[in-house]
Amino acid sequence: MYLYLPVALTSINAFMPIGLGLAVGLLSGLFGVGGGFLMTPLLIMMGIPATVAAATDSNQIVAASSSGTYAHWKLGNVDFKMGLYLLAGSLLGGGIGVQAIKLLREMGNADFVIKVTYVLMLGIVGGYMFFESLSALRKDKKTKQTDSIEEQAGEEKSGLSLFLGRLPFQTEFVKSGVRHSVLIPLLLGAFVGILAAIMGVGGVFLMVPFMIYLLGMPMHVVVGTSLFLVLFTCVEVTFLQAYTNHTVDFILAVLLLIGSTIGAQAGTFLGRKLKGEQLKILLAVIVLVVTVKIVADLTIAPDLLLAQGGGH
Amino acid sequence: MNILPRNTLYIFFMILTGAVFDPAIQEEALAELTARANHDHITIDTFYHGSSVSVRGECDPRTDVVIKITSPEKSSTLKQKGKVGGLLWMNTAELEFENTPALYFVRSAEKIDEILDEQEANKHVLGYKALEHHISIGNIQDESKKDKWFQEFVKFNETKHVYRQDNEKIEYTGIRNKRTYYTLFDWPYEAQPGEYSVEVYAVRDGKVIETAHSSVLVEQAGTVKFLASTARNRSALYGTISIVVALVSGFGTGIVVKSRGGAH
Repeated sequence: MYLYLPVALTSINAFMPIGLGLAVGLLSGLFGVGGGFLMTPLLIMMGIPATVAAATDSNQIVAASSSGTYAHWKLGNVDFKMGLYLLAGSLLGGGIGVQAIKLLREMGNADFVIKVTYVLMLGIVGGYMFFESLSALRKDKKTKQTDSIEEQAGEEKSGLSLFLGRLPFQTEFVKSGVRHSVLIPLLLGAFVGILAAIMGVGGVFLMVPFMIYLLGMPMHVVVGTSLFLVLFTCVEVTFLQAYTNHTVDFILAVLLLIGSTIGAQAGTFLGRKLKGEQLKILLAVIVLVVTVKIVADLTIAPDLLLAQGGGH
Repeated sequence: MNILPRNTLYIFFMILTGAVFDPAIQEEALAELTARANHDHITIDTFYHGSSVSVRGECDPRTDVVIKITSPEKSSTLKQKGKVGGLLWMNTAELEFENTPALYFVRSAEKIDEILDEQEANKHVLGYKALEHHISIGNIQDESKKDKWFQEFVKFNETKHVYRQDNEKIEYTGIRNKRTYYTLFDWPYEAQPGEYSVEVYAVRDGKVIETAHSSVLVEQAGTVKFLASTARNRSALYGTISIVVALVSGFGTGIVVKSRGGAH
């Protein structure tokens, strides 16, 4: 069944975005990521203009993440206090990032720097998570420990955690079961906000590894809390895109969210069956696959040497 | 003998358009062009997936017919990809293609350069070669690369199905010294709303000796029109509704799944 998309100005087989929504929603429910880094390129491959793909995707993520946040909230996995500090930080960081990108562009060759940083970042984060979870899984089998993440992180980074422990404004994050200075989530949020603005990605999937390793939050709370963050960020982005750029396609968003809301529920359900380490290793694999895809896109000569630009 | 009666050559053509609501049901609009232009309609509604446009008319049996469908010319800016550091492909610059139509279809039964002088082809912008001559590329650093980037521009538009130069079938049926021609174009769903001009050229001895004109109007209708205009003109409301619908369906699904889960 073909449907015409009034803003994208193209026609699409309705089952394709529904299926895509289902798959990305599943990932969203499992890992608490928005999935924009997967969905947007796939929509572009389906013939949706890049600007419409990115804007409509953020609209769709509002549905997937509210579905996921609700499911995780019911399970007691959302640390609202931590979420709000991170959110405040990332809003601040986003503002700084937009200025930083202007500066980078003026210096020239910004795209090159951004792409290379992005690939390195993804590769390092994905690789580290993969090997760390793999060794933890092996250890897990031997000792039958279930929750060894924090202990391990504590052992490895005792110097860092000592420093973090000395920072002022220490407060208890009850849901996460950790104690940190409020400065840490604020700065972390700002750092990710800057990166997100520069790289043009949602940024929450970059925040997830930091929440696990730096803040020492349990994996399930990380997922719930980051979904809460995704929800807020995407509501803001959707409104701005619709208001200033007129690039949100309502029909496409509805098709995507039919799939993604169901997918997010399925993901949350599936997530409960998996252990934290198993979730991490799956996410690491996806991050690595995306890294390989980006590297391939950058190095293999494209079919078309021209792409849609902005304006007329 | 040397005076060719004007009425020797009549070119009539009718545009047959159809809005496809379902592959099985095709709505066709008939129109005949003599002196009056007909507004032939393709309506884009919810289930639109492209359409077809047929061009028919009468012509002198001693002529070849060339048909061109175009949209008004504009300037389009495209990102140019190139290798950076000898290794990575990325957008390196922007190229401005001036005097280019968003849609360009040219059809003739024989190859254009076999039936038409180059000058004549250029004058009427018939065929890719003439189009290349017609357009200009702004911001191009190396003028000798114009041909390469024009070819890329054509490839880019052919991928979107909005550029086509072909020698597909033009059916001729002859009645004495009058001849009717008929050809059918697939109309791509990628073609945006607007008015498209249909030009028919009668060609003999390498020259265009007569032209006739009609047009095709592509318009949005119904829900598509409503949503497109709301997105543009009432963007704050549109954005808010998009968000509310997403929130309601997200939380709604959550609650439904939860309550069903509880019932089991």
